[in-house]
Amino acid sequence: MNAPISITGFGIICAIGNDASQVLESLRNGRSGIGQMKYLESKHSDLPVGEVKLSNEEMKSMLGVTAPGQVSRTSLMGAIAVRQALAHAGITDISGKRVVLISGTTVGGMDLTERYYLQMKAGKPHPDIPHGNECGKSTDEIAELAGLGGVETCTVSTACSSALNSIILGAEMIDNGEADIVIAGGSESLSKYHLNGFNTLMILDSKPCRPFDDTRTGLNLGEGAAFVVLERDSPESMAYVTGYGNRCDAFHQTASSENGEGAYLAMKDAMEMAGLKSGDIQYVNAHGTGTPNNDASESQALKRIFGDSMPEVSSTKSFTGHTTSASGSIETVICLLAMQNDFTPANLGWKKQADGLITPTSGTTGIRLDNIVCNSFGFGGNDSSLVISRNRPETKSGHKDAFSSRTAACETVDSADMLADLKEFISPMESRRMGKLMKAAHLAAFRALKDAGISCPDAIVTATSRGMLDISMQFLEDIASNDEEHLKPTLFMLSTHNTISSAIAIRTGCHGYNITYSHGDESAHWAMRDAGRLIRTGKAGSVLVVSFDEMLPVFAGNPDAEEAESVFAKALVLVRN
Amino acid sequence: MEDLILTLKQQIIDALNLEGVTPEDIDDDAPLFGDGLGLDSIDALEIIVILDKYYGIKLANASEGKAIFKSIGSIADYIEKHRTK
Repeated sequence: MNAPISITGFGIICAIGNDASQVLESLRNGRSGIGQMKYLESKHSDLPVGEVKLSNEEMKSMLGVTAPGQVSRTSLMGAIAVRQALAHAGITDISGKRVVLISGTTVGGMDLTERYYLQMKAGKPHPDIPHGNECGKSTDEIAELAGLGGVETCTVSTACSSALNSIILGAEMIDNGEADIVIAGGSESLSKYHLNGFNTLMILDSKPCRPFDDTRTGLNLGEGAAFVVLERDSPESMAYVTGYGNRCDAFHQTASSENGEGAYLAMKDAMEMAGLKSGDIQYVNAHGTGTPNNDASESQALKRIFGDSMPEVSSTKSFTGHTTSASGSIETVICLLAMQNDFTPANLGWKKQADGLITPTSGTTGIRLDNIVCNSFGFGGNDSSLVISRNRPETKSGHKDAFSSRTAACETVDSADMLADLKEFISPMESRRMGKLMKAAHLAAFRALKDAGISCPDAIVTATSRGMLDISMQFLEDIASNDEEHLKPTLFMLSTHNTISSAIAIRTGCHGYNITYSHGDESAHWAMRDAGRLIRTGKAGSVLVVSFDEMLPVFAGNPDAEEAESVFAKALVLVRN
Repeated sequence: MEDLILTLKQQIIDALNLEGVTPEDIDDDAPLFGDGLGLDSIDALEIIVILDKYYGIKLANASEGKAIFKSIGSIADYIEKHRTK
């Protein structure tokens, strides 16, 4: 990196506290926030969850929102955390500064969309959310509610690693001189949509989760938001981002590989970037969801990285629940609290050693933490790791603007009639689950790769405003009409915004950088900007960029108009000159 | 039993979007996963939904499916023994 990347403030709201001091107290006292559902209305109220202990109305009043009307819980929690982060960093005047807010989310305003879906379908949408409430809109709402209206905003959507990838993007932007202040993190509300989705995958525990324990049977969902403030080599630094890695497991949409390849590569990249060896890390905040698969796979990756010098490891999802897209920033803030207060958080619920798995810490006090690794993994094997350090790092003058790029190929698919051509690349058996949009994106991507003569790109960057709208609507429809029963796991698995980037990674065997932007009409702009940066800074020699969207009559505000249905995908391959 | 097997095959073809596959194409005793029909873990979850939705059978966790889902015949046997609707 070109200069130290300082963390100058942070904010957090989650099941164990509405601000950093409450979260710290809960962590120190071993007090979990997982319990009975109170604010989410679901038939599956027997499932324990980690809810923020505030109603939407209470959050609105905390933010001073007096106007009546519906605001997504994702936006409310996000705005609370952003405000805290700005105050913590002592930022009051941003005039003349290039400020960027980056939020990671997948659910976005789904809490509202699902509540008013049937009205939208009937052609009588709620006036506050006429076309649903997608990810990019929730970030803009956060900016507005936090007093940052008008600043540049961006939304990253890589499922459960979204918020960590936001922080990585923020660090890259600071490092490359693209911004003076970046507020990066994520926010995610609980929704019926993803509670039911995870339930169809049979990875929810009906009891409080027990990460890494032999008797673990799954995760508990949580919600919350957290943001960090990043600045270039600030005298007010409380810690530094010294390394990061984003890699793809390229194995399965909803499961991790046995040897944890993606997780291993992400941690390896992050530690190499920070110039640290295994003995230099004192604590790892694991992804540790509590599912049999994640904890086994992550344990293998940790053992491959750390060998005999395993640092203390814990999963704080035993406190907060799995806060999905927000987990990366919530856990980064927990790491910062641990570093500042010389302790490691416990891994609650762990009792019985599991064969082949790591042994998590029960919490230590009076321990100096100089370097911490924070892991965050998402569906599609989107695996990211961050290193935060207490001391100001040495920096070498680096890679700035070292390479130029050119477009090696570009392909567009803009009609459903073209989709039959996909069989040149993918057999009907293999494409049987894909909707039209996924087929269009794959066709454009594989044609572009073929034109460019590249079988496996170094990185994959995708952009979508609304993601898998058709698939998401089918799942919403099933939730509404089947009373949250007998839902199709395939629909949920395919409905995350990064499904396509992961599916292409799995098919091409690409373990490289993998990210998805979901920020309205600016999604493709952010994707191209990232691809250009990857080439320029020498991090990739070839990048596949795929932009895709579809529209459906219900979401176009015209449920009866057939002509409102459309599908579009454009793929290009950017290469180093 | 033959009726059940035919119905089950059609339910699986529909739920798994096995385009172009007919019930006659699936051998009652052929393996469904891996080398056989080539189904995977997500398909197994879909079959678990079929058991619940049409036959009132709830599996507590996905790993129980492994022994039951060897073939269409083995699933039909399980349904015969455990169905509640």
